[in-house]
Order: sequence, then C-alpha cells, then structure tokens
Amino acid sequence: MKMSNIAAYFILHAKSYFRSWSAIFFQIGFPVILMLLFGAIFSGSSYTPSTLIVQNDSPSPVSWGVVSAINDSGLFHVQVINNNVNLSQYIIKNSVGAALLIPANFTSNFYSGHAYVILMGEASPQVSSIDYQMLDGVLAEINYKLANASQKLVLISQVSSGVSDKTVNYYVPGLIGFTVLTPMFNMVYQVPNYRKEKIFRQLSFSGLTKSEWMIANILHSFVMLVISDIVLVLIAIKVFGASLILTPATILLSALIVFVGLIFFIGLGILAGLVSDNEETVSVVGNLILFPMMLLSGVFFPLSFAPSYLQVISKFLPLTYFINALNSTLIYGNYYTIYIQLLLLAVSSFIVFLIAARVFSWKQK
Amino acid sequence: MSENVITVSNLVKKYGEFIAVNSIDFHIERGEVFSLLGPNGAGKTTTVEILEGVRNRTSGEVSVLGTDPEKSRSLIRKLGILPQDFSFIYNSTPNEALSFYKKTMHASASIEELLELVELKEKMNTPFQKLSGGQRQKLGLALAMVNDPEILFLDEPTSGLDPRARRNIWKVIENLKKRGKTILLTTHYLEEAELLADRVAIMNKGKIIDMGTPMEIVERHHANDRLIIRGDAEIGTLIENAGFKALRNGAYIEVSLNSIKDAIELINFLYDKKAKFEDFTLKRESLEDVFVKMVGELEDYENE
Repeated sequence: MKMSNIAAYFILHAKSYFRSWSAIFFQIGFPVILMLLFGAIFSGSSYTPSTLIVQNDSPSPVSWGVVSAINDSGLFHVQVINNNVNLSQYIIKNSVGAALLIPANFTSNFYSGHAYVILMGEASPQVSSIDYQMLDGVLAEINYKLANASQKLVLISQVSSGVSDKTVNYYVPGLIGFTVLTPMFNMVYQVPNYRKEKIFRQLSFSGLTKSEWMIANILHSFVMLVISDIVLVLIAIKVFGASLILTPATILLSALIVFVGLIFFIGLGILAGLVSDNEETVSVVGNLILFPMMLLSGVFFPLSFAPSYLQVISKFLPLTYFINALNSTLIYGNYYTIYIQLLLLAVSSFIVFLIAARVFSWKQK
Repeated sequence: MSENVITVSNLVKKYGEFIAVNSIDFHIERGEVFSLLGPNGAGKTTTVEILEGVRNRTSGEVSVLGTDPEKSRSLIRKLGILPQDFSFIYNSTPNEALSFYKKTMHASASIEELLELVELKEKMNTPFQKLSGGQRQKLGLALAMVNDPEILFLDEPTSGLDPRARRNIWKVIENLKKRGKTILLTTHYLEEAELLADRVAIMNKGKIIDMGTPMEIVERHHANDRLIIRGDAEIGTLIENAGFKALRNGAYIEVSLNSIKDAIELINFLYDKKAKFEDFTLKRESLEDVFVKMVGELEDYENE
C-alpha cells in the first residue's frame, strides 16, 4: 500500500466531488436544513394552550365554575358548544383531538360527592393522552382547592449543574450521526456504478489498489464530515444558542468517534453496493439500510419513546453507540465513560471493513 | 534473434459450459504490432483481459514480459491499456486523469505533450462526461501512454468513432509503431488491421482460424486476381485470342489472372497490338474479403 497512491486518488476524487452540487448538498446543505428545522421547532419556550371543546349538559354555577377553572389554568383555551349538538359527530366532523363532556347528572353527583366529567377522544391517542394528563392535573388542583387541602408532595424539574437544558443540544449528535450516513449512501450508489461503467478496472490500470481506493475514500469522507459537522455545530451554537461542551479533549474524541464510525459505514456501503446490480436495487437496498438505522438509532428522536422491542433492536445498531458516545462527549463532557461504546463501534467497524475488503473485488469474473 | 514479449499457449477460458477462448496459441515479438481480428463475441477481449491480468484464465500458459499476469501485480506498470468501452470518473477532466496516472505510475511524461499527441489539449479541463466519443478514446489512449509502456493493449480503439476521429487515432498508433512499441490491437475493422498490424490472428468462436501477415493470409485464401479493362468488343476478342478468360460487363472487361505477371504480359500484348483501351485497374481481394469468406465458410461448415 502506497501513501502516494492514496494521496493521488484523494486529490482526483476531491476535485471531481466539488464539481457535483448534489454531493455537496447532501453532505452539507441537507443536514444544515434539518438543523435549522429542528432548531426552529424546539427552540421555542412559550406554551400555546390547546383548544378544548366543552359541552356542558348540566349547566349550574358548579359546572361553569369547573369550566372556568380549566380555562384559567392556562393549559387550555376552552370553547363551549351548544347542548343540542351531537358531540361524537362534532368531533369527527371537525377533526377535534379531544372534547370534554360534562354529563347531565354532574351537578347532582357533585353534591353527593361523586361527580365525573368525560374526555372524548378521536383518532389520535397521543393527543388525547396528553390532554388527559393535563386535564387530570387541572382537576386534581380543583379538588385540592375544594377540599381546602394543599399538595404535600411536589415534583420539581431541575437540570443538573453543568448540563444545559436546551433541547437543540440533543439534536446535534443525532444530526452528526445523519451526516455519517451520507458517505455510506454514496458508496451504495458508487460501487455498482463504477462496476457497471468499468471505472474500477480503469483505476486498476493506474496501479491503484482496492485497499488504497477504500482508504482514500474514508479520508475524503472524513474531511467532508469534519467540514459539515463544524457547520452544524456552529449553527446550533450561533443560531439556536446550543451549549455543547467543546474542549480540545471533547473535540478530539468526537473526531475519533466520527472517524471510527465512518469506517463502519463506508464498509457497509461497499457491501450494500455489491448486492445492488442495477439502479432499482440500489435505491431499494440503500433505503432499506438507511431508514431503519436512522429511525432506530435515535437520530431524530430519543429511543426512550420507542417500545421495548425496538429498543432491543437499536442495541444491535452501531449508529446507536455512535450517537450515544457523541451525546456523552458533547453534552455531558463525560468522555471517561464512553470507552465501551467506542470499543463496540471500533470492533463493528473493523469486522465490517475486513469483510468488505475481502468480498469486494476489482477483477472481472 | 527477436524476443517474444507475449507468449500464449493452449489458453482456455470457460464461463460455465460456454467456452469463450478455446485452446489458442500465439506469440508476439518485441516491437511488433499484432492484431486479433474477429467478429463480436470471437473471444478477443477475453484473451486481452487475461493478458492484462484483469481476468483469470481457466487453463493454459500465459507469459507477458516473462511473468504470469495473473500473479504479478507490478506488471501493470509496464503496460499501457486502452480497454474496450473506455470510461473514467464522470466529473474528472483529462488533465486531472493524466495527473493521477502520472503520480500512481511514477511517470515522468509531460501531460501537455501527451495531450498534444492525441490532439486533446483544448479539452484538457473539460469534465469526462462532456467529451465526445472520439475525445474519450483519445483520453484513453493518452492514459495508456503515460508510463511510456513496453507493451500497449488497444482493445477496439476506434470502435464507434467517425472516420475522421478513426484516422486521428490511427496516426497516433502509427507514431507509436515507429517508436518501436509492442502493440496488441484487437479490432473488427479489417482496414485497421491491414493498415497497422505486422501480423494478424483471425479469431472466431474462441479459436484462432488463421495467423500471419495480412499479405500471407490474403495469399492463402484469396480468389484469383482480376484485371478490369475499359474498352470495346474488339479488345475483348484480342484478350481471348491471347488465351485469357474475359467476361464482359457493360463498358468493362474483367480478366481472370493467375498472377500479377499475367497482367503485365496482357497490357504489353494490347499495347503491341495498338489496341484502344481507356483505363485498367488491378483488383486483388483485401483482407476484409478473405476474412468475410473465412468466417462465412466456417459458419457454413458448422451449419452443415
């Protein structure tokens, strides 16, 4: 293996790469758009009350008092509809997420001590569930006031000292994870294309070897990742006020994580490219690998929301370790405890790269 | 004594049951232009790719510059290869491609001179995807010459090119020939082989069906030479009286000859008789005529 050959191909590839606007867009432009999008969505701090439809079938000072208390909580903007309207049909017709029904026996039940209200939901269980929990909290508050009682036990949310509470912080490792998938996708397309066009054969006539080609690609992709990830981090900090822990140690460790992860994804891209022998399969194979990995490794949302079986699957995906290691390093500055994740990533990268180098051949069959 | 730089002995290449190259033998001497001639699917490219080391053989012996191309990785640096359907990285320019080859081959060639030689200097900064078919072939040829190779493998170098571009490529190959380069040229253009090659091997269905100089092959397989004379019926009678077989075709009389000497004797005879003829042409069968006949005969024989 010759360094001069690797350098020569690196230069040839880089010059050709910078003539491709689509390659630059997907490596730098697209992650920046995602960063701006996520940053804009999660940087807002004020809460906008959701609309709650209320039908009061038991009009009385007590029932209207409850409605007023819900409206005054600041969590809901109450909108009362007439009693003669069929509430179920109203929900469907107007695509209402949740509506509150105060039943006809509410007032009499209230005085006998067993009143209830009904939250009627439509299609989206997540929306109804959030509304239910918020409403339950408001009703509990009303109960305390009616009973002249106070909450003895209160839960207070506080962020650990030294760790920022900015939501945008958590998207930085995820989006760096996304950028490392782009070189993999490039390989899925490039390998079958170079085989079909016999460019590998032509490169072999120059004296370049397969290993030199693979290493030059890793180095070029690493340089592009460093550029795109610096842009991402700068946008996160300057535009959305992300507070990441950036010391020489965390920066170097992050670069190491990116480099080790890149080896895995380049190797995986080559293997996927080898099974794709036409343009249709390229697209299918590429997306089959990309999307599950992207969704199950916590690129766009924390995996704690996912069901337990999906969390088990995510543990087998190296991108999970990649994002967790970057999370620990950049958000918590906790770079003493990432060695297991880095080790697992390095072992996966080594195995995949070795298989790719073994299976991938430039010779004609 | 001339040195053999390529030796092929009993070479076989099979793809499953299909035999692409069927036990062929030939050698190429240093400084020789040797052409593998044959229709599409004859096995020419497979043979060349085995010699280049990019394809493994099924059996037989192959030696290129004294080494087995299947085993020697350093051999590639001594070869110049223009493959069939030459292609390169679409966004790279000829200048970048040549710089890359120059570095990996540790060559000292001047990129500017190479581009001038193949008449591609004005397109040196044009991406490959924007080059025409002829310009792409010229780049392929320039890449094959970067390392000043001992042997050049040119696989259908003018395939699909217009006549002008084809002649330009021929000029470059003739230039290489003058510089004493050994060239293995595969082509299905007979005119190309006849013009450029010292020796020709005619391949069909994986076998070499004849080998020699173009002249030798024509001599072995050609029909009689003919003398075409433009003249009247009186000349036709004179020719027959002289003992030649004449066939009248409009204003032309076609005379079958046993040798070129017959033509000289007949012209002298007509001159002595003060016969009035307007012009005459000597018609010999070309390599193309012989090739079409040979490949056709083989197919007829196999179909029987």
